Amino acid sequence: MAVAGMDEEKLRSAFLEEAEDLYGKLGESLLSLEQNGGGRELLNETFRLIHSLKSESALMGFAKLSELAHAMEDVFGLARDGRVPLDRQVMDIMFAGADLIGEMMGAVSRGESDEGVRTEEVVRRLARVPQQGAPEGAPGGSPERVPVRESPQTPADGGLPVLDEFEKRQLEEALDRGEGLYRLAIRVDEGEPMKFPRVFLVFNALEEEANVVKAVPPMDGEPLEDALYGETVLYLTTGGSEAAVTQAACVDQVTVLSIERLDYRAVLEGPPARGGGPDAALAGAPGEAGAGAQPSAEGQQKRAGAEKTSIRVDTRKLDDLWRLIAELVTRKSRVARLSEKMTRGGDVHEASEELAETFDALDKIAGGMQQTMVDTRMIPIAIIFSKFPRLVRDLSRKLGKSIELSIRGEETEIDRGIVEALSDPLTHIIRNSIDHGIESPEERLRRGKPARGRVSIEARQQGGNIVIEIADDGRGIDVARIREKAVAEGIEGAAAMGDAALLELVFRPGFSTREVVTDLSGRGVGMDVVATRVRGELKGDVVLATENGRGTRVTLLLPLTLTIINALLVRGDSQLCAIPLTDVDSTVKVLNTEIRADDGREAWVYRNEEIPLHRLGALFGRGRRRAEEHFAVILRHGDRKGCLIVDELIEEQEIVIKPVDDLLNHRRLFSGVSLLEDGRLVFILDASFIRREDF
Amino acid sequence: MGAKILIVDDLSFMRMIQKEILSQRGYVVVGEASNGLEAVEKYRSLRPDLVLLDITMPQMNGLEAMRKIFSIDPQARVIMCSALGQQNLIVEAIRAGVKDFIVKPFKPERMLSAIEKALK
Repeated sequence: MAVAGMDEEKLRSAFLEEAEDLYGKLGESLLSLEQNGGGRELLNETFRLIHSLKSESALMGFAKLSELAHAMEDVFGLARDGRVPLDRQVMDIMFAGADLIGEMMGAVSRGESDEGVRTEEVVRRLARVPQQGAPEGAPGGSPERVPVRESPQTPADGGLPVLDEFEKRQLEEALDRGEGLYRLAIRVDEGEPMKFPRVFLVFNALEEEANVVKAVPPMDGEPLEDALYGETVLYLTTGGSEAAVTQAACVDQVTVLSIERLDYRAVLEGPPARGGGPDAALAGAPGEAGAGAQPSAEGQQKRAGAEKTSIRVDTRKLDDLWRLIAELVTRKSRVARLSEKMTRGGDVHEASEELAETFDALDKIAGGMQQTMVDTRMIPIAIIFSKFPRLVRDLSRKLGKSIELSIRGEETEIDRGIVEALSDPLTHIIRNSIDHGIESPEERLRRGKPARGRVSIEARQQGGNIVIEIADDGRGIDVARIREKAVAEGIEGAAAMGDAALLELVFRPGFSTREVVTDLSGRGVGMDVVATRVRGELKGDVVLATENGRGTRVTLLLPLTLTIINALLVRGDSQLCAIPLTDVDSTVKVLNTEIRADDGREAWVYRNEEIPLHRLGALFGRGRRRAEEHFAVILRHGDRKGCLIVDELIEEQEIVIKPVDDLLNHRRLFSGVSLLEDGRLVFILDASFIRREDF
Repeated sequence: MGAKILIVDDLSFMRMIQKEILSQRGYVVVGEASNGLEAVEKYRSLRPDLVLLDITMPQMNGLEAMRKIFSIDPQARVIMCSALGQQNLIVEAIRAGVKDFIVKPFKPERMLSAIEKALK
């Protein structure tokens, strides 16, 4: 690997984390470039992104990846200078290039090399872009210009730096001033946890003696992964002596590995060029541009499955944690002192008071740490949403539909653990909206709608839930047709079902075959999979609402976090049960006289409201207790309420959710189990049962 | 007599540890402060040779205190104490002219060698 003396695995994951970030932003930039045309700022930003991708992959020795990025950078450079237009054809090549970058990063994250991905075609077409932009008559017979590629740079090999125009000009000026040019390699001690700032100390100290022209890894802009700065090479010019430079670089925890004087001419001329290969010169016919350029979200999707072992955490959250740990250490030593005091026969009363106080403090600290860790698990949902503009663009182009996508609430934070599981269902729902929901422009106009369809995605936090809504103004779902279909399939009670129950059928596995779905105005392909994922794995819920001819709205309700929840402990018969507070509307006393029984179903009638009633003991399959009045919990799930009679309301507690065994959960009543501090097992009630027909 | 040092940290146990290490090495801890405001005050009145300055503190944080101290004495020798992950703050402090930084949790030798170099 390129950087000597460094853990390859660590380096790779550091690279990937950074590069994925850049890659994501690149995708966004390309989309807005295409939509809004190339504003100067946007072009600069895109140029910078692809430039960073190029430099980083070169540093890692991914020659193919950096070659492609370089070819794209060249074209953006020309576009920035107004020398080539970013027309649709060029943008298509760019999108194709971005897809390939995604594929190569996928390969790298799987531990493979970037070499397996076929980039030649796109690189060749990128190289031809300058000719396309040139004035007519100019190109034709002129020989193909093969762009010069950088060889991968490494700080350790003593190679020459690759300079951009600005850096070259700085060198020329320094040469005119008669300064010397040096290459200074430094190493930061392994034990230094913040390497970049330490190198920055050197950089800062050198500025008094010299002019640092270039640093590898770079020192300007956002620093790269900190570990990369363990060994850093600085190219600098100075009128002073070598010794003065070394002296200035003498910072604690930093060793000067080497300092050598370089020849200006060699550096200005750059490192030996590597050609694009003989086939790069043999360009195909210009007309083929569209063929292999079909941009797709596939490249992104291929990457999505890649393993991610390192995560990015807001540094403020780490600071909080650090402060809490420091507090913890203080309190711990206090406990130690107390226990010593007591063994020595100190005043027990005094000590126990102090102990109680310390315990309170520890309790607060533990609470704080728990909260901070929970916070650490939260990331903005933008990480999922950011791929949708591309998905919508690709699909609408493919299907010849015109669609306006609006995204809101990207900053809503979700648990890291659900990102992966959530991504597929959301993609699926959006796909359905575009594929089957939104009509063709002609059909829309015929129906008196604007030709351009709308799809909106919105996320927000609502109480203890994350709500995600995907809505479209397409043709909606014809509920009457679902009823027909359900009756035809012999589903019990279908004829009498209300709209909500009928729509719920769409989530039923096997109910909608593909042909039925198109029939049903296009919904339901794989909706059973969506429902299984959301209700099962994610412990959430999904609700469909539709208006025939006007559009469909899919609402996902997800718990804020999957691991620790606040719950109300209750007892039904002798069994303990925990109800997540997010599902609790209130607790009440229910009198026998307020219970109405009708056809085996009970309801609590209170203030003109009739709430379906369930008995916890009965849910556990036990007998009914006789009493005049009962404790009850009013459950709320989505828009539904349910009244749950319990024998005892115990207390509120924080519990850690563990998965529940299927054997114990054959009625799918529970979302998990938890062990209490005293070792007792409680089932965590899944309040969504109140929506189900079988209860 | 050893160099005069001002310790600034909101956690008393952290100050205690630092003081212990410094005194053992013969430095004189001329004062302690538990927030930025106090730190500036004490710098003004005590004129220490060096300040160990924590970044995260209530009332006035270390960065602000650092700026105030530099405005009182541009030659002030300041070493920032930071938690892991405060990279940007450290870089900002270096730009403003601090001599060095140490990252918590630090080893005594690390703190002492930083101080030694900064006092040179």
